[in-house]
Amino acid sequence: MLLLLATTALAQEAPYFVTYDHHLEEPGNLEVSIANTGGLARADQRTYFAPYIELEYGTKTWWTSELYLEWQSRLGDSAIFTGWRFENRFRPLSREHWINPVLYLEYENINEASRIQKEIVGNAREIGVPNAELRQTAAHELETKLILSSNTHNWNISENFIVEKNLSEEEGFEFGYSIGVSRPLATLASASNCRFCRENFVAGVELYGGLGSSLGFGLHDTAHYIAPVISWQVSDNSSIHFSPSIGITHGSDPLLIRFSYTYEVRDFGSKMASLFGRR
Amino acid sequence: MTMRIALTAAFLTILLVIAGVSENPDYKSDPNWQAPPEAAQKSNPLAKRPQLAGGGRKLFLRNCVECHGEDGRGLEKKHSANLHLPAVQAQSDGSLFWKISNGNLGRGMPSFSQIPEQQRWQIVLYLRTLDK
Repeated sequence: MLLLLATTALAQEAPYFVTYDHHLEEPGNLEVSIANTGGLARADQRTYFAPYIELEYGTKTWWTSELYLEWQSRLGDSAIFTGWRFENRFRPLSREHWINPVLYLEYENINEASRIQKEIVGNAREIGVPNAELRQTAAHELETKLILSSNTHNWNISENFIVEKNLSEEEGFEFGYSIGVSRPLATLASASNCRFCRENFVAGVELYGGLGSSLGFGLHDTAHYIAPVISWQVSDNSSIHFSPSIGITHGSDPLLIRFSYTYEVRDFGSKMASLFGRR
Repeated sequence: MTMRIALTAAFLTILLVIAGVSENPDYKSDPNWQAPPEAAQKSNPLAKRPQLAGGGRKLFLRNCVECHGEDGRGLEKKHSANLHLPAVQAQSDGSLFWKISNGNLGRGMPSFSQIPEQQRWQIVLYLRTLDK
């Protein structure tokens, strides 16, 4: 049914996986992303795959809501559902500024087996424990981010400051950051509907990691990654994102491979409303 | 357990609020949506390359058609502006560029500053062809 409802429109997006910029989903549109974070684990641990689905809806021009459903599977271990997340992003200023703030609020109902790593906070985690055991430990978490983002001379520069509170355990407040820089490979659009022309690619780099917690703030025993990112706008309403993230501290996994396919359903809100009899 | 019930209730409440407010209000031109003078005075750096309007059309179809329609005459259900109207075409290139870049978030027009600057000027080039 989604395919029947779908028409065109996917504005050029930043290629980031972890960092948010200040651009929100267009009102009434639904963006469906199927993504995976694959982790090459440290020597004594197991490689894992953490697929997830993102449903992003433009509630208003200044408000975007998003639901995540996530899973995890490790080589030689089980595959399990690791929970859901619901986030909202609000853009408080109505005009473009040199720095554009966005406020982010998320509730996570996940368990300790979650590995999608949409953000890195606190200290590095031990992942040698089997999934059957990890799934028993629920984590109800509240997460806030201050997103600052600028567009200048065709570059996007974004910084996110993260604070997370696990409501299920006494871990204090955990902190994290992410920074992203990106630029389209071409700044003029050709008249033809080419798929492989440079204007359809945006490339950049992300740097993200944890900053400890209120029980011990700092870089000690934290995970940090540097990640080249690239996105390809395959068609007017779909795009592919790819990023190899390289762990740069002892607490990081050596390599994370991130991939996502995104499809935008235009005017989803109105179509749904009319389906249920509202004009 | 009580915390879990409270959080689930809060989640459902937010979903209901979203369902209730996601409808656009009726469009009326916004007298307060004016480009600052220095932005309005900017000239289109691509003005001498009208052949780039073709790329502008492609960008228009990708980013703008959803609200303004394929012919740019606006969509009633979106309460969006008819871009052929003199009220639009009489605006300077700089003013149109500023409006594309900033949007009018309170009135349903998103910001398109993520589109590279030259491509936004290409859209302005294309908008001028609607007048012909």
